[in-house]
Amino acid sequence: MTELRDSFITGTGAFLPGEAIPNDRMEEYIGRVGGRRSSVGQRALRWNGIDTRHYALTPEGEIQHTGASMSAAAVRAALDDAGLGRENLQFLATATTQGDYLVPGHASAVHGELGGDALELASFQSVCAASFMAAKSAHLAVRAGETDCAAVVASEFSSRWFRPSFYEGTALIDAKGRLAMEADFLRWTLSDGAGAVIVEPKPRPGHRNLRIEWIDLTSLAGRFDPCMWAGATAALRGDMVNAWSHQGPRAAHEAGAIALLQDFALLKIVIRAWIGVYLEKVDTGRIVPERVDHLLCHYSARSLREEIVNLLINTRAMIPETKWFTTLPTMGNVGSASIWLMLDAFMKADSAKVGDRILCIVPESGRAMVGFMMLEVV
Amino acid sequence: MSLAEKSSPQEIAAADVLRKLAIVWTEFEGRLEATPLIRKLTRGRFELADFHAFLVNMRQQVKDGSLWMSRAASSIDEEHLELRSSLMNHAVTEHRDFRMLETDYVASGGKLETILNGKKNVGSEALSSWMFHQASQPNPFGLLGAMFIIEGLGSIKAIEWGKLVQTRLGLPNEALKFLLYHGENDAAHMEEFAEMLRMVLPDEAVAERIVMCARVTARLYVLQIEEIAA
Repeated sequence: MTELRDSFITGTGAFLPGEAIPNDRMEEYIGRVGGRRSSVGQRALRWNGIDTRHYALTPEGEIQHTGASMSAAAVRAALDDAGLGRENLQFLATATTQGDYLVPGHASAVHGELGGDALELASFQSVCAASFMAAKSAHLAVRAGETDCAAVVASEFSSRWFRPSFYEGTALIDAKGRLAMEADFLRWTLSDGAGAVIVEPKPRPGHRNLRIEWIDLTSLAGRFDPCMWAGATAALRGDMVNAWSHQGPRAAHEAGAIALLQDFALLKIVIRAWIGVYLEKVDTGRIVPERVDHLLCHYSARSLREEIVNLLINTRAMIPETKWFTTLPTMGNVGSASIWLMLDAFMKADSAKVGDRILCIVPESGRAMVGFMMLEVV
Repeated sequence: MSLAEKSSPQEIAAADVLRKLAIVWTEFEGRLEATPLIRKLTRGRFELADFHAFLVNMRQQVKDGSLWMSRAASSIDEEHLELRSSLMNHAVTEHRDFRMLETDYVASGGKLETILNGKKNVGSEALSSWMFHQASQPNPFGLLGAMFIIEGLGSIKAIEWGKLVQTRLGLPNEALKFLLYHGENDAAHMEEFAEMLRMVLPDEAVAERIVMCARVTARLYVLQIEEIAA
């Protein structure tokens, strides 16, 4: 049997479309549903703490990039950062919440954009944690000796789903012309971009690299209904027979089954479930809070309610906020791409010392999932 | 300086137990979410008959709550008078709660005799028997784990379920007193519980017993909810 090899992140890359858009200009880009101002926007922004974000479309709704082209740009940036080129790439693992097409997989679209020789592909579709599914696939492929150069890329083009036409003429608009909270809130939360990392079996000499210690993903979908979803109405989402495709696209749209939705009551329970998974990792010694030097979490510390922070402190599981690094306020919440955008900014900020351990956490509200990745700076 | 360095042995031991209890709790919450009754509630299929079944089933077990707590207090020796006082206080606070279930039942259109003559379901039988058995042991500190689960239901789940029931059935507040009346999930609550833990810790065997009691109580409670059928 071949021995398992180590795997290293040797390069990171980011792609953010256009300029940074401040809060007061968001509605120019995502539009006004039924021509009226959103009533939940301010509340959503206070909660998520985002100040600026990027959009891959213009205020007129013109598409400037695609999910595939943003992914390809991030892969090229990451290869460049690793001192490599497209010709070195052997394996491509992609992640996204909703790709450009329904079929085939997003990885094929990204390979199409990248061009060049044959690649092995892995195409992951979930929500934020799709990023770690792709990373684990690349990590294991490198560890097993199946590939010597893998790219992991995640991208989101959420804003196109937030345009008024996705909601107008649907049951998501009430008699007074207001868009349902479960639909509107996400419009003020998610934005566009792509991030990528390169994974190799050896560190790049003369540069700082990140050894991947482990990647863990835990799904609790066996217990919880969908919490953030598209493809069914809120009332009928528990049973897959109600999927949009069974009604046909026109009827599904009118029912409000196509738009991206979030159940906030369930989200509170799902947050506790994530914390439970984290506490279990602390309890078993998989994560030792005192031995974590930097925390990159795809969730803002400020959005955690006081009782959760108290629980973490009272159970000796809190990683002090001074160790948290985030790009959420400036780059926005870019779903699966956020963790790679954060890692790229962290490496470029040059604050990591050799020997430092970095914990990355990606919770996914989709259907109660959470991922963890431990890295060591080498 | 890390938290560990500035904590006393009591504080470290209590924090370690609290962490394990929080894990048991979140696992418990996931199991509850998957029970037929709660699925009906979260999927919008909950009817008045389900609410009535819930009240009738709960009453039989809630009635026993302060009784096992009093028995547990009487099983605690003079070395732990503080804890005995705490348990007695808890028992006094809660020993009339089952009356609320009865008035909620009547206020939502049920007949008093029906809820008074209700029987324990399989899960309630198992849960009550387990509690009384534990409470009869000398110094039954493991029951702190059971209290963590039961208190969590009162401070976290009751209000969530109460709001959902109210949205689905359009009942007035007077019919939802039991679920809406609890509901204070503040830091003081957690601190009070941690204080009780520090009264009996550090002690490895006690710590283990507390966590085991929480796990058994959580599983039996889920069984009780699973057994509720309208």
